Amino acid sequence: MTRRCLVLAALVAAATLAASLNVSAQAPIRIGVIEPLSGPVAASGNYVRMGAEIARDWINARGGVDGRKVELRIEDNKSDPKEAASAAEKLIVRDQVPAIMGAWGSSMTLAAMPKLEEYGVPMVVETSSAATITKRGNPWIFRISPPSEMEALGLEQYVDRLGVRRADFLAVNTDWGRGAISAFGDMLKKKGVAVGAAEYMEQAATDMNAQLTKIKGTGGDTLFLTTAVEQITLVMKQAQEQRLERKIVTTGGSSSPTQLIKQAGAAAEGSYHIVFFMPWFPEAMPDGKLARAFVDEWGKRGHPFEGLTEGFRGHDGIATIAEAIRVAGRDEPKAVRDALWRVSLVGVNGPIKFEKDGPAGKESGQSKPSIFVVQIRDGKVALPDFLAKK
Amino acid sequence: MSCGAPGTPGRPPSAHTGLAAPATTILLALTLPLWLESPYFLHVVIMAGIFGVLALSLNLLLGYTGQLSLGHAAFFGIGAYASALLTLRLEWSFWLALPGAVALAALAGWLIGRLALKLRGAYFVLVTISFAGVVALVSVNWMELTNGPLGLPGVPAPTLGPWSLRGKRAYYYLVFAAVLLAYLVCRRLVGSRIGRAFVALRENEALAESVGVNVTHYLVLAAVVSAAMAGLAGSLYAHYTRFVSPEVFLFSYTVTMVIMVVAGGKGTLAGPLVGALMFTVLPEALRAVVSWQWQMLAYGVLLVLLVVFLPRGVVPAITALRNRRAS
Amino acid sequence: MAELLQHLVNGLVLGGTYALLGIGLTLIFGLMNVVNFAHGEFYTLGAYATSAALGLAGAHFFVAVLAAIACGTALGALCEWALLRPLRAESIDTTMLVMIGVWIAMQNGELLIWGGVAKSIPHPFPTAPLVFGPVSIAPLRVFVLVLAAGLIVTAYLLIHTTRLGTAMRATFQDRDTAALMGVRIGRMHTATFAFGSGLAAAAGALLGPVFLAYPSMGDLASLKAFSVVILGGLGNLPGATLGGLLLGVAEEFGAGYVSSGYRDAVGFVIIIVVLLLRPAGLFAKSERIG
Repeated sequence: MTRRCLVLAALVAAATLAASLNVSAQAPIRIGVIEPLSGPVAASGNYVRMGAEIARDWINARGGVDGRKVELRIEDNKSDPKEAASAAEKLIVRDQVPAIMGAWGSSMTLAAMPKLEEYGVPMVVETSSAATITKRGNPWIFRISPPSEMEALGLEQYVDRLGVRRADFLAVNTDWGRGAISAFGDMLKKKGVAVGAAEYMEQAATDMNAQLTKIKGTGGDTLFLTTAVEQITLVMKQAQEQRLERKIVTTGGSSSPTQLIKQAGAAAEGSYHIVFFMPWFPEAMPDGKLARAFVDEWGKRGHPFEGLTEGFRGHDGIATIAEAIRVAGRDEPKAVRDALWRVSLVGVNGPIKFEKDGPAGKESGQSKPSIFVVQIRDGKVALPDFLAKK
Repeated sequence: MSCGAPGTPGRPPSAHTGLAAPATTILLALTLPLWLESPYFLHVVIMAGIFGVLALSLNLLLGYTGQLSLGHAAFFGIGAYASALLTLRLEWSFWLALPGAVALAALAGWLIGRLALKLRGAYFVLVTISFAGVVALVSVNWMELTNGPLGLPGVPAPTLGPWSLRGKRAYYYLVFAAVLLAYLVCRRLVGSRIGRAFVALRENEALAESVGVNVTHYLVLAAVVSAAMAGLAGSLYAHYTRFVSPEVFLFSYTVTMVIMVVAGGKGTLAGPLVGALMFTVLPEALRAVVSWQWQMLAYGVLLVLLVVFLPRGVVPAITALRNRRAS
Repeated sequence: MAELLQHLVNGLVLGGTYALLGIGLTLIFGLMNVVNFAHGEFYTLGAYATSAALGLAGAHFFVAVLAAIACGTALGALCEWALLRPLRAESIDTTMLVMIGVWIAMQNGELLIWGGVAKSIPHPFPTAPLVFGPVSIAPLRVFVLVLAAGLIVTAYLLIHTTRLGTAMRATFQDRDTAALMGVRIGRMHTATFAFGSGLAAAAGALLGPVFLAYPSMGDLASLKAFSVVILGGLGNLPGATLGGLLLGVAEEFGAGYVSSGYRDAVGFVIIIVVLLLRPAGLFAKSERIG
């Protein structure tokens, strides 16, 4: 009995010691992060987390925000809206974060939004693409990723040079895929392009042969593909098996061309990709030095190169929040929210500055991110051919 | 797949072992918002309550009639969507939408009951899975009705006269009332002649039929009540989270329900509630204690350990312990 | 017409993969009556083990596949011995629950070890498709189909013609009599579960290169496997095979001619209709064992 008591006492002492060691001289600034770290899109969520960690370390290396260190409180939303809401509640109530970055998927973000309003805490949305997020009249939402409509506008200038006459769509059956079909469809129709088939695939599906056979029969010249990189790989391989001869354009920025080259090989040759970060030519980004430094740091940490096209979102989100806290002068949620309207910084993607979006009086913030198009040529990522031969 | 293998006799409701325990539980539950300060903990308890109603509903089928429905998330989702759509599109009051959702879920339960309960065991299970799959796909694809994958944000919180039940304390009492209602319905059903018929069906269907028990009739009844309760839980969920999306049909919700019922103790009345509390608190506790890389792995390992050490579930284990102490 | 033929070929290939998933589970679920939610995880393990063997040991493709099968079989045996045996007296729901725990633990373990990024598994077959008139099919898929057929036939022969197979069937049909006849019951249980898991790993090793390897690949596989097994009649190997082919073709034509959004719904509806018309499965001639 006494031995057990001794062990228990030792454990309690150790725990108390460990807890007390965490108290630093000045209380750190905690920033909440909600991402899908397990489940089907765990890879993407983890890339965003890695980018966030780089931002945090850079900020702390420069002395933190107003002399205080930044700490990330990272929660897993398990790709489940219910968990995203619980995670937000926990971060706000237990960890008392003044701001959150999240939650990757649009449904997760939408599920967390009522909590933001309930407690009055701002959230920077780094990936979600559904238009309704900023149109719902939630004044605590600030988005740095482009909604599908903005993305489509970014491609508009290249439609003629791409030579798109008749387009087909194949998208993942989520708000992201459907939003892309709707946004790009409208944009193409305005430019006089005929829109053929619009096919869907389930998020977990691995066999898209039926959809591809159908698309093969439409006589189109371009296929717009919106889904995550794993499915893009499978679609390309299966398209090659079915001898589908047409241009492929992927949208959404999650296509990770480097990974495609590795896994789809020749099947990816010639395809075009809309991305929001070009880690292959960082100097071509709006802040070339920052982009180059980010790519180097990412590589130094041993993170896979293919994750850069998503990881930068984590960096820009944390950088934005940290800047807002600096401008506000304190880490109090409402002050941070007001400060977010005043921030103007340059992230890895480019300039970040929020404009009003949504119903008057309750606007959300939407930034205008830079949008790029790249192409896979000769097994490497390059600027698209229609830009090269100017 | 007759789930009542020999060796699991139907136990009398555990409330029979004295009034002290249930009375203290009710007292604690009634005063909970007063002594549980943190809104986060209150949130966890509310979710536990909603899942408690769900677990009770699944228990009615699984624990008492012995039929496993792996499509139960469908009734939950139908209730959630129905309640959300009735209040959003038709602008009904919550107090009308709730029974509406319950009725629609009950209708779905009746449909599945009539169709599927000609089948037994694994075949019944597969039909329930397929039914849930179809409903999930309809919710994703039928954009005009359900808004597809974008879901239905902005589901209004219930109001009672001039007061809004949006706040957590008020909503807690609403959920508590629902849990109490579900528990009492189950208890009356199980204690009645109908309940005995359920158990007879579970233990030996052929024998029950030969004695004159109308098998299909009772199974369909169980399906309807079970689906109705799941629909109730769905409506409560919709108005609490105020966002409904096709993810309510995720198979993981059904799996969670099954875990709660079986680990809590199927075929008992308190088991599902204990299971619901345990398995709502556990993931949140893991959030606090374990870093995100290990959370789900720890959850799986803990579940395995729990089953290996308490194979009948928590409540039967406690009852067995009490019985052994008594003798 | 060309489209129809291509759809048909697609469907048969897809169905073949479903059949491969089903044959392992029909032994575990059909014979042993274990609701093995972790079946998809053995499938995933097969794919990852192949990838690891190819990457780490630099082994030849076929050796890697064999290594993966061995891995799955060994882990299956371990699972049965450590978890299922102590719970054998419990109800089917208890064993189902423990396999749910194994499912969650295995999937998240795989996520922890290999990360969430999908892995491409290299294979020695050319990527250019074989063309037969209007129909194209990749050489790798032909290989998978041929091997799947071989595995199915082998499994069938094992179960129905060898002494081991007879002992297995006897154990699950009537345990006490089998024990009296000298069958080592414990070993039969372990052998059956290991064999079924090994088949799942084989499916993963073969299909990993066709698709990709990622931690959640097993979830869909489990669902299809259960559908195929129940459709074909529990414990019925030819039934599972035909059920798989039917499901594959139905899904393919559903996606091709009805709607790709509702593709899986077509499969589900067909399952419901079939079961309502034939409540003991498509091909059930005799009553269920066990």
